[in-house]
Amino acid sequence: MKILLMGHPNVGKSVFFNRLTGAKVLESNYPGTTVDFMKGWMRLEGEDVELIDVPGAFSLEPKDRAEEVAVKMLAENKDSVIVCVLDASKIERGLYLALEIIEKGYPAVVALNMWDVAEDKNIRIDVEKLERILGVPVVPTTAISGEGFKELVSKIKEAAPVKIEKIIESAGGRESAAVS
Amino acid sequence: MEKKLSEMDFDEEGTVKEIEENLKKQVAGMGIREGKNVRMATKQPIKGPVVVEVDKSFTSLGLGIADKIVVEVE
Amino acid sequence: MPLSVDARWDLIDKISKQTVEFGARKHTLKDAIAELTVKPLTGIPVAIAVIYGFWSFFCDFAGTLFTDGFMVRLFDEHWLPWLQSVFPGGLKNPFYALMVDAGHIEGGVLVASDNCFEAFGVLTSGFFVVFGVVLWAVLAFYLMFAILEDAGYLPRLAVLVDTVLHKIGLHGYAIVPTFLSLGCNVPGVTATRPLETRKQRFMMMTLLAIFVPCGAQIGIMQDLVPEMMGWIFLTLAIGYLGFGFILNKIVPGKSPELIMDVPPYQMPTLRNIVRKLWIRTSRFLIVAVPFVLLGSIIVGLMYLTGAMDWLAAVLGPLLMGWFGVPSETVAPLIAGFLRKDLAVGILGGLMEQGIMTTFQVFTSVILLCIYFPCLATFALMLKEENGKEILGSLASLVAMVFVYGGLIHLVGIMLGVA
Repeated sequence: MKILLMGHPNVGKSVFFNRLTGAKVLESNYPGTTVDFMKGWMRLEGEDVELIDVPGAFSLEPKDRAEEVAVKMLAENKDSVIVCVLDASKIERGLYLALEIIEKGYPAVVALNMWDVAEDKNIRIDVEKLERILGVPVVPTTAISGEGFKELVSKIKEAAPVKIEKIIESAGGRESAAVS
Repeated sequence: MEKKLSEMDFDEEGTVKEIEENLKKQVAGMGIREGKNVRMATKQPIKGPVVVEVDKSFTSLGLGIADKIVVEVE
Repeated sequence: MPLSVDARWDLIDKISKQTVEFGARKHTLKDAIAELTVKPLTGIPVAIAVIYGFWSFFCDFAGTLFTDGFMVRLFDEHWLPWLQSVFPGGLKNPFYALMVDAGHIEGGVLVASDNCFEAFGVLTSGFFVVFGVVLWAVLAFYLMFAILEDAGYLPRLAVLVDTVLHKIGLHGYAIVPTFLSLGCNVPGVTATRPLETRKQRFMMMTLLAIFVPCGAQIGIMQDLVPEMMGWIFLTLAIGYLGFGFILNKIVPGKSPELIMDVPPYQMPTLRNIVRKLWIRTSRFLIVAVPFVLLGSIIVGLMYLTGAMDWLAAVLGPLLMGWFGVPSETVAPLIAGFLRKDLAVGILGGLMEQGIMTTFQVFTSVILLCIYFPCLATFALMLKEENGKEILGSLASLVAMVFVYGGLIHLVGIMLGVA
C-alpha cells in the first residue's frame, strides 16, 4: 500500500507532507520530465508506509506538465489510498477534484485543510454530514498548527472505494444529477 | 442582459450563463461553472488578461478565454 | 463510472447546499491588498518597487556586505598571499601557476598577482568566484525569491506581464521561470513545466538559456562592472523580447491563453523559507563547485600548454572582426561552456590587465551571457527536449549569438564607442 497526497497547488500540501513523514525524505524527478515530487515514509499502525506528495493539480484533466504527472502517478499506483487535501475555504472546487478521484475508484480520505481560514471567512461546514454523503472519512485540519492530524492518520485505514452512484443517492437522488 | 465575460466592466458582477463546451473542463478545476456568481476583479490594458472572482477565489483568464464565457448581468 | 463536468457540478451543488453555510462576506485589508497588487494602475508601480527592492537587497547584502566588505579582503589580503608564501614552486612552476597564481607580464617581466581575479589559479580565482562572490549572491537571491514565492506574489506579477509576454507567444507565467533563472538557469528550466504546450516550453528554455544571466554571473558582473549593469540588463531584455517575438513566428505549435489561479497572500513561514533556501543553495553548490574547479583547471592547462594562444590566434579575426572583442576573450569563452561566473571572473582578470576598452568589456559580458548555456543547463535541456528541439535550440543559439553580437558591435561603431 502507498499513500498519495493530492490536492490543488497552494493548499498546504507540502506542510502536510512534512508533518506526516519522518526524517527520511527523498526528492525525485518523474522519469523523463523535470517535474519533482517528494517521497517519504510514515508510521501507520506499526508499519512504514510510503507517502508520495503528488504535484498539485486542479483537476484530473491535465492542463500542464505537473498535472500530467499527477494523473500518471495516480494511474500507476492503483493500490494506493489517496489523501485529498482541500482548501476548506474553497470547498466546492476542492470537491470537484475529490470527486474525480473517487469516481476513478480510489479509496480516499478528505482533509479539509485551512480550516482556520474557513472559520475566519465565516464558512461553516457540517463535517459529519459531508462524511455521510461522500461515504469517505472527512477530517478538518490546520496544517500550520498540526490540528486534526492524529485523527486524519487514524482514518487512513478506514478509507474504501465508494461508488459515485451511491454518493448521488445519499446527496438526494439521481433525478437531476444524472450519470452521463 | 447577456454579454461576454470579456466585456464586463471592472467590478461588475454577473452570473455565468454559458461556457463553451471544450473550455468547461479546463476551467472546472478553478471552480468556474455555469450558474455561479462572477465578479470582474481586474482588467489589464491593451488586451491583457482579466482576473475574475468566483467563490472568493481569483482566476486569471486570457482575453480570448474570457470571450468564450457568456454571463448574465443586471 | 466518471460523471460529465455538468453532472459533477450538479452533485457538488447538492452536497454543498446540505453541508456548507457561507456566512456574510467580509472584505478584509488582505483582500484589498490582493486586488491592488494585481490592478494595472496600482500593481505596476508595486511590481517596480518590489523588483527594485529585490535588486537593492541583492547588491547590498551580497555585494557590499559580504563580498566587498568581507570576502574580497579575506581572499586578496590573506588567502592569496598565504598561498603564495606556502605553496611549493613559484611563478614559473606550472603546477603552482595552475593551482595558485599564473602571474602576468608587467613591463616585460612576469610578476605575482595581487588579487584573486587576476591570479587564475584553481585555489585562488576558482575558490574566490564560488565562495567569495557567487555563494552570497545566490543565497541573497533565493532568500528574496522564496519570500515572494511563499507570500503568493508571483502569480500577480504573472498577470501583470501577461499582456506583454502573450504578444511573444508566452504566458504571463513565463515570468516565474525567467525570474528563477536569474538565480540559476537550472531550476529555471525546471520551472518551465507549468507552461502548457511544447512550443511555449521550447521557446522558454531557449530564451532562458540565452538571455537570462544567472545569479552567479550577475554577482560577479555586479562586482566587476557595477556601472554597466543597467545597460547589460536592457540589452538582454531587448534580446529576450525581440528574439521571443521572432521565435513565436517561426516555431510551430500553439500558444494557448492564460488560465491561472491567483491564490491569496499568505504569511511565509520561516521553516519553509529555510528549507527552500537550504535545498536550492546546496543544489547550487553541488552543481557549481565541481564545474568551477574543473573549468579553472581546463583554462589553466590551456594557457600552460599554449592551446589558448593557438585558439586566440585562430578565432581572433572572427572575434575582433565580427564582435569587436580582442582575441584574449577566448579564455573566458572557453570557461563559459562550464560556468558563466568563472568566465566573467576570468574576463575580470583580463580587465585588470587593461587590455580592453569599456565597450569591449560590455560586448564581452553580453557575449558570455548569450553564446551558450552553461553545461548544467545544457544537460537539463538535453533531458527535457527531444532531438529535433535540441537542434532547434542550438540553431537558434548560433543564429542569435551572431546576429545579436554583430548588432551590438554595429551599434557600437555607429555610436563611435567600439
